[in-house]
Amino acid sequence: MQVSRKARAIGVALLTAGVAATALTGCSSAGGSASGSTPSGSYTFWDPYPQYDATSAWGKLVAQCGAQAGVTVTRTGYDTSDLTNKALLAGQQGNSPDILLVDNPVVSTLADAGILTTTGENGLSTGAIAQNILGAGVVDGKTYGVPIGANTLALYYNPKVLKAARVDPKSVTDWTTLTAALAKVKAAGKKGITFSGINTEEGSFQFLPWFWGAGADLTKLDSPQAVQALTLWTDWIKKGYAPNSVIQNTQTTSWQEFQTGNFAFSENGTWQKAAAAQMGAGVITIPAATGGAAPVPTGGEFFTLPVQKDTARYKTTAKIVECLSQGGNIVTTDNTLNYIVASQAGQQAQLKADPTLKTWVDAVGVAKARTGDNLGIKYPVISQQLWTAVQKAETGSASPSDALKAAQQAVDAKLTK
Amino acid sequence: MTVITSPTRSAAPAPAGAAPAAPAPRRGSPGKRRAQLTAWGFAAPVVVYLALFYAYPLYKNIDLSLRHYTVRSFITGDAPFVGLQNFVAIIANPTFWPSMLNTAIFVFVSIVFQFAIGLALAVFFFKNFRLNGFLRALFLVPWLLPLLVSASTWSWMFNSDSGVVNSFLEAFGIGQINWLTSPQWSLTAVLIANIWIGIPFNLVIMYSGLQGISPELYEAASLDGANGWQRFWRITFPLLRPVTTITLLLGFVYTLKVFDIIWIMTRGGPATSSTTLAIWSYQLGFGSLLPDFSSAATVGNVLIIIALIFGLSYARMQRRSEA
Amino acid sequence: MKRRSWVLTLVGIVLTAVMLFPVYWMVNVSFTKASDMRKSPPNLFPIDGTLHGYTVVLQQQLPFLGTSLLIGLGTVVLTLVLAAPAAFALAKLRPRGGGVLSFLLLIAQIIPAIIMAMGFYTIYVRLGILDSIWGLILADSTLAVPFGVLIFTAFMAGIPDELLQAARIDGASTWRTFVSVVLPVSRNSVVTVSLFSFLWAWSDFLFANTLDGGGDLKPITLGIYAYIGNNNQDWNSIMATAVVASVPAAVLLVLAQRYVAAGVTAGAVKD
Repeated sequence: MQVSRKARAIGVALLTAGVAATALTGCSSAGGSASGSTPSGSYTFWDPYPQYDATSAWGKLVAQCGAQAGVTVTRTGYDTSDLTNKALLAGQQGNSPDILLVDNPVVSTLADAGILTTTGENGLSTGAIAQNILGAGVVDGKTYGVPIGANTLALYYNPKVLKAARVDPKSVTDWTTLTAALAKVKAAGKKGITFSGINTEEGSFQFLPWFWGAGADLTKLDSPQAVQALTLWTDWIKKGYAPNSVIQNTQTTSWQEFQTGNFAFSENGTWQKAAAAQMGAGVITIPAATGGAAPVPTGGEFFTLPVQKDTARYKTTAKIVECLSQGGNIVTTDNTLNYIVASQAGQQAQLKADPTLKTWVDAVGVAKARTGDNLGIKYPVISQQLWTAVQKAETGSASPSDALKAAQQAVDAKLTK
Repeated sequence: MTVITSPTRSAAPAPAGAAPAAPAPRRGSPGKRRAQLTAWGFAAPVVVYLALFYAYPLYKNIDLSLRHYTVRSFITGDAPFVGLQNFVAIIANPTFWPSMLNTAIFVFVSIVFQFAIGLALAVFFFKNFRLNGFLRALFLVPWLLPLLVSASTWSWMFNSDSGVVNSFLEAFGIGQINWLTSPQWSLTAVLIANIWIGIPFNLVIMYSGLQGISPELYEAASLDGANGWQRFWRITFPLLRPVTTITLLLGFVYTLKVFDIIWIMTRGGPATSSTTLAIWSYQLGFGSLLPDFSSAATVGNVLIIIALIFGLSYARMQRRSEA
Repeated sequence: MKRRSWVLTLVGIVLTAVMLFPVYWMVNVSFTKASDMRKSPPNLFPIDGTLHGYTVVLQQQLPFLGTSLLIGLGTVVLTLVLAAPAAFALAKLRPRGGGVLSFLLLIAQIIPAIIMAMGFYTIYVRLGILDSIWGLILADSTLAVPFGVLIFTAFMAGIPDELLQAARIDGASTWRTFVSVVLPVSRNSVVTVSLFSFLWAWSDFLFANTLDGGGDLKPITLGIYAYIGNNNQDWNSIMATAVVASVPAAVLLVLAQRYVAAGVTAGAVKD
């Protein structure tokens, strides 16, 4: 009796431990990538397009390029803001995908972490790609990826609202004329301009054309030109030309405001061009402070090839990426994504099919990479302080010059550590 | 006689009113040891579970906070040991005191309102009327919405220009309040959303606490001439103390780590006006393009230490009250 | 007296309506056209609405509901298997150091989920259960087990020892006592813990996002991501997904609420 009771207790413990162990090593179900080494015929691909599933044009194209290279490609779409962390976590565990499509300002961070291969290592060709767009993928002279396409920002306008306010869109050529136009629109009872001034990378992205358009430089956040740019935005908010919600707007919610038909202008990107055409909106380049087109930041993702244990895979991976990023495929892809092709030949093909793209092609031609000018991994630090300063000024809790001064101090403190 | 027990049995001996202890027949030392072995046998799976799934991530987190990790060393794993330097840096960071203050306000106000409203609703639903069971179940619906959705819905409702809350206030003549975009109101906005989400939990627990109180006590009190209010304060509330304690304690633990609601509504902004320690930790680790895992882990550990301090004080209070 | 009852019902309805207003708003947004999303002032009813969100969701999301259901049920089973015996030990068997275990379980709940998720990632990669339903069941159970132990302990402590003594005198072992005497009496708390663990697993997003990439076997909370593209978010689809995801859980809630209320603290054992 005594023995069996003790045995029973031990038995219980062992049984539960056994159940636990079985549960832990239990069946891995299908779908998604497994850990460790994947079978040679299967390649993994992570991209930030969760809205496209396997039956979409993009999904089918990826499968096709894989088949052409003789392998099957398992593609998973993630939220773009999660992708950096997922890539880092995976890299730490040796679980990186074969192809990683990431937002361009992140490329230098991943390269610095050492989880990406250079074109020298993986054999990817970059020949025909425009230099200013390729810039985001170049760190210390080495290229870590190729763009899938480029998009950038411009000023959409609502012709009905402008007509009612008696403003000619062609007259908006610099900041003075733009602000004057906004004043006229407000006087006519409509709202002036909407954009995204949120405390995320989107906010910095939207602020940069104005920042660069004033002649400011990201290495010096508290220059008088920078203050001038920020004052432009805060004055608009104060005078009611821009709504208070810009402080919290993403580019999507800003576009939704524009879609209500009450706004004259909306600063938004290439990806909205189809929706804009549907609502009859026009587009002009963002003006610089004293005239001309403001330099705009490049958006768009990059194909990168993470480091793998089996370096023989790079050849096939490079083949798949070249199939996706060059030739006729890229024009179709970029038209689906509403991006501009990163090579001149591709842009010509797009213009031939749709001449209204001229504004965008011109804008992309003068665009610059956010991590360019050798900013690399300094950019995320600067960007974070920039959007914080913009928020502080927008909410009125600090003046533009104080906010930017604090931002530059924070950047200096962080970067000299 | 109904058995009323305290759900807060962390340390030990039975509270007053329950049957005497010693469930295992005391047959001397071997019997006792066997009983202990059986007891631990039953608890073994949970112990293994705790070690594997809680201790390990905690250990990793402590490791992250005691070393200086850059993105590169995160991958390669060879970060230098820096002792308490990260903690010193975090305390010296200008965001530290604002986020401590915000955390304190957020937790305190959330718990007070969630508890008070939950208790009031529990008392209300305890009365007998048509549909009370159905309505009470409906009250739990906010609880089962994914936080992404609840937080987004509140975001929409609080929008300065197109939000329904402001339209409602405007109908009463109150001007536009910039709920999510002004430093003065952002914390209030996330507080309201968090209180809303926490009410169902408090309602459920307090309601079942009420069910544990014998109706005879109320009858006796009515006979003595006590009115509703007196009955509540003299009978209900004191008898609810054990349930209250556990609700407040769990509420404290859960509210301390609230993250999704604030992140989706304001991301801790504008500036640091709605940044709590949990938000700050996430911001450092995942909120920018350049993750700083060491600092994020350090702030996370500060959070855990605060909870530990409160937990230990609670345990000591328990022991003292049962001594 | 009857009039009083109706007044209370009315007050109850008003209170519930106020509480559920945001849920109503969610449904409202799910029917709103994209161009009306930022209309100021907003429409209280989706006049001129669109069924686009629901069409898309019903076409694409239903398999994910199945996955969520599977994960939810798995989490319930695992939580009960882990929590009930441990609570029995803490409540009745009194192992030495049991107090420490209770305290640890309380503290375990303070660890922020993101820290847990990052730790799990490493474990899961090594064990090969990343992107698997088992992995998510395990992860989601960490949300429920400590709380489950707490609830069960509270309840089981209230079971009179005489019942257990009686079983022992009849020659039952501890395990037998647990299975045949304690569990049946604890039915209400079993339902309560099951409900909590199911709901928490159903609405979990963080673990699903970190530990399950996607592919065909993802829960409904990740399914929502299909509508959060890299540049554009489709809000009526997102809200429609949430509505569709909430319906089964709401039904479950209404059915089980009777047991939930009764199960949380002891009080179901009367002489």
